[in-house]
Amino acid sequence: MEQQFTLTSEVRDDHLIITTSGYVNNVGGEAIAAEFSRHFQNGIHRVIVNLAQSKVVNSIGMSFLIEIIEQLQDTDGKLIFTNLDPAVEKMLAIMGLFKFAGKEASVDDALKSFVGPQ
Amino acid sequence: MQQGDLTDRLSAQIESLQGSFRKLSKAATLKDLAGQFAGVVRGMFPGADVDLLVRGSRSERWEYLVEGGVQGAERLSALPPEQSTSLCRVHETPTGVCIVQKLVDASFIGMVLARKPQGPGAGEVDVLSLRLFIHLFDTAYQDMLYRRNEKELIFSLNHRVLQLNSLIDTGIEVSKLDHNASPQQLALERAASLTNASKGVVRVTHKGVLSEEICFPADVSFKTAVDERYRIMTSFVFADSTYAFELFEKESRTGVLPFDETDQLLLDALARQVHASLENRYLHEQALEKQKIEQDMAVAASIQQRILPASLPPIAGYDIAGINIPSKSVGGDYYDCIPLPDGKYALVVADVAGKGVPAALLVSSLHAYLSAYLEGATPLVRLAQRLNTVICRASTDEKFITAFIALLSPETGEIESVNAGHNPAYVRRNDNTVHELNEGGVALGMLDIDFPFQSEFTVMEKGERLLLYTDGIPEATNERQQMFESATPLKELLARHKPDQAEIFIKDLIGDIKRFTGNEPQSDDITALYLLRR
Repeated sequence: MEQQFTLTSEVRDDHLIITTSGYVNNVGGEAIAAEFSRHFQNGIHRVIVNLAQSKVVNSIGMSFLIEIIEQLQDTDGKLIFTNLDPAVEKMLAIMGLFKFAGKEASVDDALKSFVGPQ
Repeated sequence: MQQGDLTDRLSAQIESLQGSFRKLSKAATLKDLAGQFAGVVRGMFPGADVDLLVRGSRSERWEYLVEGGVQGAERLSALPPEQSTSLCRVHETPTGVCIVQKLVDASFIGMVLARKPQGPGAGEVDVLSLRLFIHLFDTAYQDMLYRRNEKELIFSLNHRVLQLNSLIDTGIEVSKLDHNASPQQLALERAASLTNASKGVVRVTHKGVLSEEICFPADVSFKTAVDERYRIMTSFVFADSTYAFELFEKESRTGVLPFDETDQLLLDALARQVHASLENRYLHEQALEKQKIEQDMAVAASIQQRILPASLPPIAGYDIAGINIPSKSVGGDYYDCIPLPDGKYALVVADVAGKGVPAALLVSSLHAYLSAYLEGATPLVRLAQRLNTVICRASTDEKFITAFIALLSPETGEIESVNAGHNPAYVRRNDNTVHELNEGGVALGMLDIDFPFQSEFTVMEKGERLLLYTDGIPEATNERQQMFESATPLKELLARHKPDQAEIFIKDLIGDIKRFTGNEPQSDDITALYLLRR
């Protein structure tokens, strides 16, 4: 069962990897956006959001993710979601997030896709 | 200023205006837009300091969007009222220009520009340019609002599609019978997600006592959630349990909101899906149980088919017939006529308490032990004792067998019999009287002690008949719940009906029972063995 939201992050070769756990709602979305902004201001424009431990996302949480994607678009950056639960993947697809963001099975796959042709 | 210079300068500013609009059109917020706009203005008026402020349609207070240090709020607040409410008003002072533009949403943008003197006549062109630029701001602002509304509309439409899609998916998922998670947990997660609830709970109470509580997120307890301001709930009752779904605090980007009608509809729909799922699971379990019973019955029927005699052995000087009609697919009745090595015949009728596989297995045990003991020429009383012991050990406490066992010496017509808790057997004498054979003991397997059985002896003369039966015959009931025995006592039937073939007696007996019971379902097995000495 889903817990309340927590996140961890790391920067690997100029890629920001945000790993979440729990319900991605207003609190969760805000936390992801704040973590992103902190690194975006330092010039990091490649972001991976690992949602392996987040099985439930609401539309408020998604609105923060959309804002991150828009900010990255303005700077030729990119966001890739990884380890998506099928239900979450479907939600993000219906909300149109994959038109502007990528999805990969794992963080390693996402890192490889950043290295390969964009 | 010369005409040519003025034209050149205006042309340059219009060109700059077009470029600036492209830049401004990317702004996502009013503050972004103001920041971009201030940059454009500073580009047009190098060295100028600019303040940009906004004021609501009903507010008197100017709020800074861009602060360039020219006391914009004080200057704008000092303007005469008519200048701050007109569509676009320009107020020039020796140290700068104040422009107030009414925007598309009825708010006001105020710009205060402190510019350095650029020579005589330059002010008019600057003011004209500033008018154009503030219109540009209004147009860019309209564009930004339009884009924002469009984005919100698309987001909202997508969210509606998501809600409908998720409702369908959840219906499918909760109806999966092999789902590991409980359907109420899945429905709660989806309900919280689709309504943007910050938390939720499902409480299952059975006859008023809480039997299950599922919280979402898992680390939120119901005790803390009940204090929340905004909540919606729905419930249903299934199998004497009440399932109550409750959601708390609808989230938004600007704070917590009350839930709306759509949220309630979604919660109701998801709860209904759980209700349907629980009902389907219950019906599925019932169907599986029925299927298992049917399989058991098929196994038991197969066992019994192998035990009951396909035909009875002919006995010289006698005519014998038997019948077994189980009440369900498998009964617990047994009968047989077993030829023995010493020329005698064992006539047996038995009734196991219960039905189905356990009863069939016990009948199977009786058949095996009986055959073994008879083969070993065990005396009848001893045989009954041994059967009691082995059946007692082979069966559960509530299982036992009533049995009537008779050993017939065909040549003399002598019969030795033991009645182990069974209905008495009847011997119809040639003088039309009926003699009961009742000596014996308790039902087999009832008491695990070396219980003393007694046998009795009688002789069947030529023309006399013996009837062994189970209680399914006298206790056969009709629609008025009357018993066959009360309408047609077996002893009387036996006395008055003496066909010259055993088969005919059995056929007539069954016919009488069928006529008596009519459409009433058969409640117990019917078994009979009829022996006629010619």
